[in-house]
Amino acid sequence: MSDLATLRAEAETLARQLPDLSLQAEAADLVHPGAAGRKRAGSGEQFWQYRRYAQTDAADRIDWRRSARGDEYFVRETELETARTILFWTDPNAGFDWRSGQSGSTKADRARTLMLALGILLSKEGERIGVLNGPRPASLGKTAPDRLAEDMLVKGSDALTPPKSTALTIVASDFYDPLDAWRTRLAPLAAKCRHGILLCVSDPIEHDFPYSGRTKFSRPGAALDRIFGRAETVREDYLARFAAQREGLSALAAQMGWVLVTHRTDEPALHGAAALLSALQQFGVKA
Amino acid sequence: MTLGPFLFGAPLALIGLIALPVIWWILRATPPTPKDAELPSLRLLDDVDPREETPARTPWWILLLRLAAAALAIAGLSLPLYAPGAQSGEDASGPVLVVIDDGWTSGQRWGELRNAALTALDGEDRDTPAHLLLTAPRSLNADPAERLNRSDFEARIRSLQPQPWAVDRAEALERLEASSLRPARILYVSDGLGPETATDFTRALAAKAPLSIYAATPRGPAAITGLTSAADGVTLIIHRTDPANASDHFISALTLDGAALATTEAGFAAGETDTNATFTLPPAALARIARFQVTGSASAGTIWLWDSADRSRRIGLVSGDSTAQPLLSDMHYVRKALEPFATITEGDLSALIAENPDAIILTDIGQIDPTALEAVTTWVEEGGALIRFAGPRMAASGETLVPAPLRRASRAIGGALTWETPQPLGSFPETSPFAGLPVPDDIRVRQQVLARPGPDLTRRTWARLEDGSPLVTADQRGQGSLILFHITAGPDWSDLPYSGLFVDMLRRAIAAGKGEAISDEEGLYTPTLSLNARGQLQQPSPIATPLEASEFGIVEPSETHPPGLYQGPGGTRALNIAAGERLIPMTDWPTSATLLGDAQVSTLHLAGPLLGFAGLLLAIDLIIALSLAGRLPLRRKSATAALLLLCTVPLASQVPIAEAQGFRFDPVSEQREPLPKDIEAALAMRLAYIETGDARTDRRTMEGLNGVSLTLFRRSSVEPADPHAVNPETDALDVYPVIFLVLPDDPTPLSETAIARLNAYMRGGGTLFIDTRAGGTIGQSGFEGLTDILPGLDTPPLAPVADDHVLSRTFYLLHAFPGRYANRPLWMEATGTAEQSERRGDGVSRLFVTDADYTSAWAVDNRGRALYSVDGGDEQREQAMRFGVNLVMYVLTGNYKEDQVHIPALLERLGEEDGVGNFEDGPEGEVIP
Repeated sequence: MSDLATLRAEAETLARQLPDLSLQAEAADLVHPGAAGRKRAGSGEQFWQYRRYAQTDAADRIDWRRSARGDEYFVRETELETARTILFWTDPNAGFDWRSGQSGSTKADRARTLMLALGILLSKEGERIGVLNGPRPASLGKTAPDRLAEDMLVKGSDALTPPKSTALTIVASDFYDPLDAWRTRLAPLAAKCRHGILLCVSDPIEHDFPYSGRTKFSRPGAALDRIFGRAETVREDYLARFAAQREGLSALAAQMGWVLVTHRTDEPALHGAAALLSALQQFGVKA
Repeated sequence: MTLGPFLFGAPLALIGLIALPVIWWILRATPPTPKDAELPSLRLLDDVDPREETPARTPWWILLLRLAAAALAIAGLSLPLYAPGAQSGEDASGPVLVVIDDGWTSGQRWGELRNAALTALDGEDRDTPAHLLLTAPRSLNADPAERLNRSDFEARIRSLQPQPWAVDRAEALERLEASSLRPARILYVSDGLGPETATDFTRALAAKAPLSIYAATPRGPAAITGLTSAADGVTLIIHRTDPANASDHFISALTLDGAALATTEAGFAAGETDTNATFTLPPAALARIARFQVTGSASAGTIWLWDSADRSRRIGLVSGDSTAQPLLSDMHYVRKALEPFATITEGDLSALIAENPDAIILTDIGQIDPTALEAVTTWVEEGGALIRFAGPRMAASGETLVPAPLRRASRAIGGALTWETPQPLGSFPETSPFAGLPVPDDIRVRQQVLARPGPDLTRRTWARLEDGSPLVTADQRGQGSLILFHITAGPDWSDLPYSGLFVDMLRRAIAAGKGEAISDEEGLYTPTLSLNARGQLQQPSPIATPLEASEFGIVEPSETHPPGLYQGPGGTRALNIAAGERLIPMTDWPTSATLLGDAQVSTLHLAGPLLGFAGLLLAIDLIIALSLAGRLPLRRKSATAALLLLCTVPLASQVPIAEAQGFRFDPVSEQREPLPKDIEAALAMRLAYIETGDARTDRRTMEGLNGVSLTLFRRSSVEPADPHAVNPETDALDVYPVIFLVLPDDPTPLSETAIARLNAYMRGGGTLFIDTRAGGTIGQSGFEGLTDILPGLDTPPLAPVADDHVLSRTFYLLHAFPGRYANRPLWMEATGTAEQSERRGDGVSRLFVTDADYTSAWAVDNRGRALYSVDGGDEQREQAMRFGVNLVMYVLTGNYKEDQVHIPALLERLGEEDGVGNFEDGPEGEVIP
């Protein structure tokens, strides 16, 4: 597990490379409406401004009362009033905080980096960010990324208890446990949060299975060894299962109305962050 | 135990081979240790049963490797020996006698002889004793009855060296008889020569016990057996034993310290055992030859030590002249005539006699100092040759030490007041040593001293003029001789010194000195250097005893009289082992004897290589096992990279060449092809010096120029590159602003080309800085002999550097120019004398001459520390350094600096007109340009 400073620095670098994030107001409405004025046009209760009518505006948006006073058409805009909560969760399993010799960082570190980068962007946009089941509730403002980073590094619990109010949840793991187990674990969360992202981070060696000959396998975090006399014979089997797991996972996400984002630790972190970001944005549009 | 040509020292170890199948079975059954691997996604396989849980097979090639290692180790432990010629031990149940010819003829193939002797005990029982009989007689011979066990025997044989004298087989046989040894088997390791003794010897040996013989007859040229010398060359007789094929060999002539002077070819025609090798060399080179050697052969026989009687002679010269005009003096002619043939010493007469030269030459010395006279007389009577030349002074005085009484006046022929014409030379008398020399017609003698006629005069005359008057007379005094040339040694009185005849006459006259005058039959010669059988010169052993002169040529070389050089009253004499020797190969071996070929006496101990190879295989196996188990730190990639690297090393070595070709277009390239010197010099300003050929002085100059370059770099805007050493004959000079010529203690004159190019350099605006470094020598001007060294240098008029010269102000303000020595004059081109139109360049002096040894004061090592002491300590060193800076500034900036002196005045004048005055002067101590 990398330390706070490294994590923060990497995430900041990453966040600087990403385009600004703007969640669609419609999506925000659905999540957590009407919390605070956002000092700009958007959907809300309060009047914000009259603006000249543009061709792209629908005719029913014209504020006739105002337009009647002059020759021009005006559109009435209200102030954007949104702040929604985005909660992050990292799998505390020892197998997730692991890396092979082929990649530079552990899967958990990479996941944290990606999520913190996202958190930094989100907090700039005025969103509320926090760790799911974390020691502190989700927060707003400038100190939010700091608190998020600190909370992320606190070893969290294995349980996925749903938050009290609805939120957008990002769950990072390698999802190697059986799909049924995951379905059971995610079900309460999915019931509470309509939208979420499954961030599946994997090590390249887990994709390739480059073993042959007599090999003793061990699983981090499980005191269990298995010896394969000829590891190459199980490779086919393994790869088939790996693909099946991914498919099942993606189906599971779709079932829940969530999105699956996959990332390999030998890819640049930027790719992962971009994928995450686009998922988040597309997600907003869809809603 | 034997198995074909193999012998086994510990055959029981071979039983271990039975274990090989067992090892094979075990190795097959044991699986290799599994690799460890961590994999979080193993969870996916939780419910998968491995299809094949049986362990992977050990790969067949690992099996083979391990089995081969085991087999090799077992074979090695059985101590195998490859010995095709070894006798099986059954019939030899007693001691083995090894007889070795260790005379000089064995030197050439000693290694083979020794190896043959070493095989004597192969195949015998472990405790079979060996006995050793050496045929070259020594004063303390080893007793053949001495029992040697296996290891002692080996040690003895390995330490044996051939002796540089001949074998005496009859005597060896006597020794064997006296020891009453009863050998069970005899191995005779012979040089295969000398049938007259070898026939009886081998028959006697064969009668004692079963005899096997290994004969190593010398190959190629075996000996230099004789030498005949002529005036202009030497002919050697080369001898060989096997006349079958034609072959060519090379003979070198070496000086005493081993430098090769000449090499000649000697070819044997097929069927010939002797050939001649002729060296044609000038006498001067002949005189330096000390020995001849067959190239590529190391044996006492193939070296001929040469004690030629006309070895270079030592001659003393005493002159009556003053040395005011050395090139016109008589002595000059004598020296030039004799320099190639003799070692010449000059000096005072009594000092010369103390050195005991072969001959002393006096030119026109009238009266000899009475004390010296006595010494000279004694020296002549002991065998010296005193050669005198006449002259005005002698004509006026001398009666003593002349071969014939002289008249009191000289005879001038062909002068204005004489009737006679100058006389040519007559023929030489038959008895004269000069007889046979050609007489040129054009020699005229204009003046001579005359001998008083006497009864002995004809006998004593060695040369006369055409009118019969003696020109050279000589007389025996004791063992030595007195020789008088009735003319001067210079061309004042005759043309003789101009001719080559003069040289020959002098040489023959000198030959009358000790070397040949002394009789060969006397004197005792002590050995000074002796030759070993490998043909190396070394200190003689303490047993070597002196030889009577008369014994040379008769005595056989032996331990007491080893071949080598002997020092005696008549110089050195050589005792050559092969002189007159005939080497006849032995063919008539006894019928009962077994003759061993070369292959049969070579044995190979295989245990070491076998065990070593087994170890190597095990090491390879270890590496493979480690890498299979993944315990080897290198990853697969890097291992592959290493392999690739190994394969591409030959390729990679060619790459830089290809890169280097493209260098000139690639300024970033790190690897630089050295530029030609002139281009390099043109690219950066740098100082240069002329190589004098004296390594110490050159190094000192280099260090000095480094020092002044460093100082310039640090203190001024002049940033010179490393100094160059230039050869004025070949290198481009114009690219250097100043060239230093720092002379060593005994400088050699520069060549004409060099001087001509230096003149061109100075005309073209260059500056030559000459430092004779002689400033520390007391009582000398320091510039003596400068004209000898630089003949024809286009020297402008010189003057001492004036106090207010710009040189004292170009960078530092200086009041004196001290170098290593203070208060020495510094000369430069006189500015006043030359007209403005004649001033070259920009008014910089073309030439500096000094003797203050500046370079030593400047010299620093590569860490910038001063190297040599300076008269006035560090303060003076700093002054010298400042002078160096000023000098380079002066040379580089020319008259610009001189004009800078006037700048305040110029500015002042400008200011009066334009109102822009009031320029500040530079800070005190430096004139800022």
